[in-house]
Amino acid sequence: MKIKATLALFAIGLLGLSQVGMAAKPKEADTIDELLKIHDNSSCKECHSEAHEQWSKSWHAKAVISSLKGMRNFIKVGLEKEWNTPLTKIQLLKCLDCHAPIVNFASEKLAKEIGGLIVTAFEKKGTRAGDAAKKELAKLNVGCTSCHNIKATTVAKGLRGEPEYGVVYGPNGNDSDGHESIESVEMGRSLFCMQCHGIYTAPDGEKIQCNTLSGSYQDAYINLGGSQTCQDCHMKDTGHFFPGGHDLATVKKGLGFNVQITDYRHLPGKVPGVKNKKAWVPSVLVTAFIENKTGHRVPDG
Amino acid sequence: MVLDVTAKDTKGKVLFAEKKTYFEIGVDTDRDMRYGAWQIKEIIDLTLPPLQTQKEQYLMHFDTDTDEVEIEAKLWYYISGGKGDVVYSVKKKMEFETD
Repeated sequence: MKIKATLALFAIGLLGLSQVGMAAKPKEADTIDELLKIHDNSSCKECHSEAHEQWSKSWHAKAVISSLKGMRNFIKVGLEKEWNTPLTKIQLLKCLDCHAPIVNFASEKLAKEIGGLIVTAFEKKGTRAGDAAKKELAKLNVGCTSCHNIKATTVAKGLRGEPEYGVVYGPNGNDSDGHESIESVEMGRSLFCMQCHGIYTAPDGEKIQCNTLSGSYQDAYINLGGSQTCQDCHMKDTGHFFPGGHDLATVKKGLGFNVQITDYRHLPGKVPGVKNKKAWVPSVLVTAFIENKTGHRVPDG
Repeated sequence: MVLDVTAKDTKGKVLFAEKKTYFEIGVDTDRDMRYGAWQIKEIIDLTLPPLQTQKEQYLMHFDTDTDEVEIEAKLWYYISGGKGDVVYSVKKKMEFETD
């Protein structure tokens, strides 16, 4: 009888866990492959193929390997030479909390290894060791769960609390057969993007300035009456591809260029250095109007 | 981002060339220019502000025997370092009566 009751309680416990996703806090990973299993993005594309296809061509998909130089310099110049500080997970997260948020779940040992891979991939580019390091680092990026879970509540943590493990956060919170969902309206607001696309404040207070988009958005664009969100422009028609400064068509869309060219003849004798001081001087006035139609300064970063 | 304005004669010789660069300068707390994201604490902003139109004017004088010039204005966007793309380009041929 006692055994039956215990089994029943265990079953109820399991049921409860499955209903809230996997609420247990995941352990820290010691390898990159273990890390990827903690927040597994691999099955998202089965239902969200279009979003996955868009994302796979985005800079979010290569957020680590596209920034090796800057991150290597932070480790070798910033930490090693200027700050005389050892590479630790806390230090590495000053880059990777945004470039690969999943590294928050790495063990101290793995974080240091990832730092080493970054240095190797950059310094030994084109060699077997460098290419192998880059291949490993290519597994790290701003993936589905980076935004839809790990960073989902960051901008409103007091209100929303820590993200629930195993649950998918989205702007509408629609449940699906594949996962439990929680509505996170913040994901549709500029503030959500600004947590990384702006001045980043590390938990220890250090300010990291990869780009400053949020500053000009908040203090210039909004101040002048602008009301579009980052998502309004950078997800419109393109979804999770998030085109920006790397995409010429997007750059073109954000800028206006009106050039007016007019000629006249300047008064004789008024322009020094010409051959005939008594002749009219051929002259041209070029006026260029360059319009920034975007919600932030151009260029940025 | 660079506005590049040139004037060339019929043989392609450059008679006028001016560039205006829009960019931001990252500085550390000593106000020394820096490139590292961990070093930059403030910026000097020479970019195009949002929702604003910048006006640039260039007045060119050519020699008195110049009868034709081609004016070109190009807007370059540099996404990283030396890789630049022409976003917009405007060309116009100007003819002058000479004395």
